[in-house]
Amino acid sequence: MEIAIPKTSAVMKALLKADYTTLWRNRRANIMVLIVPIIIVSTWKGFVNLAGGAFVLSNAITLGLVAIGLMGYTNSIARDRDKGVFQRLRVSPVPLWTIMVSRLLVQLTVIIILTLIVFISGYQFDHISISASGYFVTLLTSIIGGAVYLALGQVIVGRIQNPETVNSTARLIYFAFIMVGMFSQILLVTEPKLKWVADLVTWTPYGTVKDILAAGLEPSKWNNHTSEALLITLGYTVVFAVLGIKWFKWSNK
Amino acid sequence: MDTQPNNILQVDNLNVFYGSFQAVKDVSFYVKQGEIFGLLGPNGAGKTSTLSAIEGLIRQQSGSVTVAGYDTLKNPLHAKAAMGVQLQSTSFQPELNVSEILQLYAALYGVTLTQEKLHAMLKEINLAEAEGKKFGQLSGGQQQRVSLAITTIHDPKLVLLDEPTSGLDPQSRRQLWSRIDAIREKGHGVVLTTHSMEEAEAVCDRISIIDHGRVIATDTPQAMIDKHKDDPGVIAVSRRGKVTLEDVFIALTGLDIRG
Repeated sequence: MEIAIPKTSAVMKALLKADYTTLWRNRRANIMVLIVPIIIVSTWKGFVNLAGGAFVLSNAITLGLVAIGLMGYTNSIARDRDKGVFQRLRVSPVPLWTIMVSRLLVQLTVIIILTLIVFISGYQFDHISISASGYFVTLLTSIIGGAVYLALGQVIVGRIQNPETVNSTARLIYFAFIMVGMFSQILLVTEPKLKWVADLVTWTPYGTVKDILAAGLEPSKWNNHTSEALLITLGYTVVFAVLGIKWFKWSNK
Repeated sequence: MDTQPNNILQVDNLNVFYGSFQAVKDVSFYVKQGEIFGLLGPNGAGKTSTLSAIEGLIRQQSGSVTVAGYDTLKNPLHAKAAMGVQLQSTSFQPELNVSEILQLYAALYGVTLTQEKLHAMLKEINLAEAEGKKFGQLSGGQQQRVSLAITTIHDPKLVLLDEPTSGLDPQSRRQLWSRIDAIREKGHGVVLTTHSMEEAEAVCDRISIIDHGRVIATDTPQAMIDKHKDDPGVIAVSRRGKVTLEDVFIALTGLDIRG
């Protein structure tokens, strides 16, 4: 007896529809993710003259990407795993990769929305305008940068099973990124003597993502350092993704 | 072991380990078309692990599982398409409402669900007015009906039900039994796990008792009672002078409470 299995394209379409509906119904939580970057853009007016518009926008986007990867993605995966949503999907005739790809495509949409909102806020609050190529390259680098934090989020849900512990760990790491990343950047501008702190942070996931975003905003300033930052960003993504996928369990039981 | 072509499920020498712990030991059984097969056992006996291996949720270390002619390791998607599964604790995306959940799973099983079909389905499970409700807002019985509707949405050859009546009131339980009977009447095979001996006697055509990961007895409920009714161990645990399936079950698996 021949049993028909559904087409992968139909499966993806159904999963995406469900995941986008979920995203829309959780829009209040997602707005919270977007608020921090908007606050940065609106309150860092002074830094625009001091360090340039790219400095402000790249920091705002980087923190937004950290929030998406560590808070949005990680918590939704941990919650659905705990509730058994993935187990129900896994007993259906769908390739396992479609379940995760659908989730990641939804996060990709949020990354693009975040980047566009930061562009608009930057223009509205600080009158920052960049070239068309700058907008385009920054969209690409946002996606690459977002991948690092989604992969880091995957590591967290891979290592930790309990959704509350996932949530608190993600918040802790998010806070660490804010402290280490954002304030080291401020120190770089305000306290030149502490430049070594900023130099150290340059090679962290925060620093490399911020650097490729800043260079993306001003493509003419893309240099060897930026290319190295891009390679290291991709390296972080691969390492985190491999570990996150290796450690990930579909069920808490 | 019966390996006739009309077996909708064939499990042979199944072994499942969790680390060094062996949860399922050389389990073999079959289910024919139009048969309801019960898997009975105390807590931790290996029932859910056996079902999980059939469903593809865990990978067996050895042995084979064939569903509607498809090996679950060689053709997992075809095997899954031939199965309808109701897990012990099922949940759906909490943001989706009942009709969205039904539409999602219809699509995942390759079923075209028109609005007319959707409404007919909701009416059939007495949930016509709950289509806009979230799964978490439904009562236990309503959740069970949605879950069973999804399990059978693609008219599967084999239906696997893991403790389907757990936590249901008598009315909901009777209704579910009728639905399980209706699945059998369509010629489909059903495997259900249960702790209720009453349920096993009322619903199952054949049962296997599984304990410590092994199948220790397989027969029809009545034949199992007849075979063991004179055993001293069974008589010792029987109450009110009449041997029941539960007495046989207790005598075979012991009185110790399991985790």
